[in-house]
Amino acid sequence: MSDFKMKILVVDDFSTMRRIVKNLLKQLGYENIEEAEDGAQAYSKLKNGGYGFVVSDWNMPNMDGLDLLKKVRSDPELKDLPILMVTAEAEKEKVITAIQAGVNNYIVKPFTGEVLKEKMDKIFERLAAQKQ
Amino acid sequence: MNDEMEEIIQEFITEAEESLDRIEPRFVELEQKGQDTNLINDIFRSMHTIKGAAGFLGFQLIVDVAHAAENIMKKLRDNEISLSKSLMDVILESIDMLRLLLIHIKEKDGVEENVAPLVQELGKALKAAMSNLNNKEQAGISVKPDIRAEQSSKASKESESISPESASEKPLNKVNVAESAKVTENAQETSKSSQITQIAEELSQIPEIAKTTINDSIKNSESTQAATDGEQKPNEMIQAAKDNVQKAQNLRVDVNRIDKVMDLAGEVVLVRNRLLNISNYFDMKYTDDQMTEILMEAVSFLDRITSDMQIAVMKMRMQPIQKVLSKFPRLVRDISASVNKDVELQIFGEGTEVDKTVIEHIGDPMTHILRNSIDHAIEPAEERIAKGKPSKGKIVINTYQRGTQIVVEITDDGKGMDLNKLKKKAIEKGLLTEEEAQKMSDKDAIDIIFMPGFSTKEVATELSGRGVGMDVVKTNISLLNGYVEVSTEKDVGTTFKISIPLTLAIIQALMVEVNGVKYAIPLSPIEETLKVSKKDINNITGQNVIVIRDNICPLFDLSSILGFGSNGNNDDLDFKYLIVISMGDRRFCIAVDKLVGQEEVVIKTLNGMDTTSSFVLGATITGDGKVVFILDVTGMSRNLMELTRA
Repeated sequence: MSDFKMKILVVDDFSTMRRIVKNLLKQLGYENIEEAEDGAQAYSKLKNGGYGFVVSDWNMPNMDGLDLLKKVRSDPELKDLPILMVTAEAEKEKVITAIQAGVNNYIVKPFTGEVLKEKMDKIFERLAAQKQ
Repeated sequence: MNDEMEEIIQEFITEAEESLDRIEPRFVELEQKGQDTNLINDIFRSMHTIKGAAGFLGFQLIVDVAHAAENIMKKLRDNEISLSKSLMDVILESIDMLRLLLIHIKEKDGVEENVAPLVQELGKALKAAMSNLNNKEQAGISVKPDIRAEQSSKASKESESISPESASEKPLNKVNVAESAKVTENAQETSKSSQITQIAEELSQIPEIAKTTINDSIKNSESTQAATDGEQKPNEMIQAAKDNVQKAQNLRVDVNRIDKVMDLAGEVVLVRNRLLNISNYFDMKYTDDQMTEILMEAVSFLDRITSDMQIAVMKMRMQPIQKVLSKFPRLVRDISASVNKDVELQIFGEGTEVDKTVIEHIGDPMTHILRNSIDHAIEPAEERIAKGKPSKGKIVINTYQRGTQIVVEITDDGKGMDLNKLKKKAIEKGLLTEEEAQKMSDKDAIDIIFMPGFSTKEVATELSGRGVGMDVVKTNISLLNGYVEVSTEKDVGTTFKISIPLTLAIIQALMVEVNGVKYAIPLSPIEETLKVSKKDINNITGQNVIVIRDNICPLFDLSSILGFGSNGNNDDLDFKYLIVISMGDRRFCIAVDKLVGQEEVVIKTLNGMDTTSSFVLGATITGDGKVVFILDVTGMSRNLMELTRA
């Protein structure tokens, strides 16, 4: 069962994209969504704690999605935080790198609410299974 | 939900247009700097982002164009192809197409552009570039990693010679390493972290070198230039990071809402003025009453706060002029290419903040001046060389704030204006008589270019699509209450200097009285006020003049300017109050009956009134609750000067 009160961080440098993703998440029922403009800002927000999920774009200035992922995974406080990476089709080859770096799943632009839900459900199912 | 979607689309259009505005000048930079990974990355990312968001919103045409352009940028980024003019041209074309597509979405006109030819062209250009490269040696590319390896090993050698500082004390991250290494390679180039990270990765792949060693070595070896720069740069980067955090706190607000606040702030200013008046009255009448003192205190507090609020609201409307300037590098590139000239554009002071209205209206006149400079002023390369100038022409745009004015200077190093030629042409066109031309001062002769109907060619600007002459430059700028001055020197160049008041809504004004009626005159063009004895006023060929500190200054009666005829009732007074107005390099005096005082006024536009012929800019409500006209001194100056000339 999804926890709709869970705090989610949407990371993208393009504010329209943040809004689109936020909108899709809201359609799925999530209420507690925050935004960050790039990896660096996301990381400092995450450090403040309380987040249950991250949807991050890959290609961003300052700190890109992959570096954010690496940084989160190497941070003892955050290492278990589920991250969904948003990529464009052309970057599929890079997905392997992301998986090696410990991404929970990835989603290819453009995506619908259903696909997003599917991906999120999968991530949480797997996490639940790991806990047992 | 539909509204939400509509809003998202609006936001997408704005953001995508902003992205295009931002990357367009980077193309020109790219052309000058060559294969700069940093720039390429930035452009690539913007294309990529626009494509991504367009995909969500179902704007397939945008996706197609952005995708094709992005492909090229990606190959450039990965060093698989090299930059060429034809490649650049076709990418710029795709930017134009993206803009057009955005306009169609914005206007909901349902027009479907055929993007297929452009997409094909982009594909072809990419193919051509790829095969081009295959024919070339691979040397150019393989050199790069070598250089870096060398650099790193050099760094590691340095590290051996210097006692390592405890790395744990202040662990610099790997970004700094990369930055420092980059600095060694090219000290002047400021680079963005995306590239830095990339290089950092490359560096980290060189196994023998521990990151911290390089770090400390570079940090400690203060004797080398690289080290000094390397230490400064991280600070700048921290600043940049801070700026980014700040940027995130920006809020997009509908301009109408800001204007509403602006309006209300204006009303508050008016009420404040009234209250000041009333409290002064009480202060005089009930000086000893304790409540009066309390009232005065409260009112003066309100006074201060209102002024602060006014500035705050004004600042809300201010935007960096860069918004306008960013389109010029591309414009200059395109125009100069079309007339086969090589022109370099330098821009200074793009951070200068100006009112939103200025942003909206200054673009066209500036475009026109630039076009004119490239077209007419900058000589062809051969001619320049013959004159001993560098073959490449140069145009400099400089923006700065001077007092309460924003100044925009556009300077070219072209051939300057030939005043005799100008006069001759004006006579031919029937704009001037021989005699007028003879009498004309040099300053006035330069102004011939602004005469309606003088412009040689009716050039349709590609950007605005309208055919405009130089006279439009002057009109547009005077709409902003500003003025243009031109200075020119043969074979050295020409400077257009545009001055515009900082804010357009609330101004300081001098209140004057004529025929028992009060008027407000904007304070900024007023140089001084004088009380003169009537006998000091001379009449030269029908024009009243006065000598002010050895300078002759034409004098006009405000009463006759406004069409009341000369005011007989005051003629028996043997002195007059004069207001000396200075507009650019024109100076003249206006005679009034009384100087009332200085007041802050809020300009309210008057609908249904021909403000150009009546010399009225608008109206305001004064502290005593009366409606007062604000006079348009710019219009007056134009008109009066024509009178004196005729």
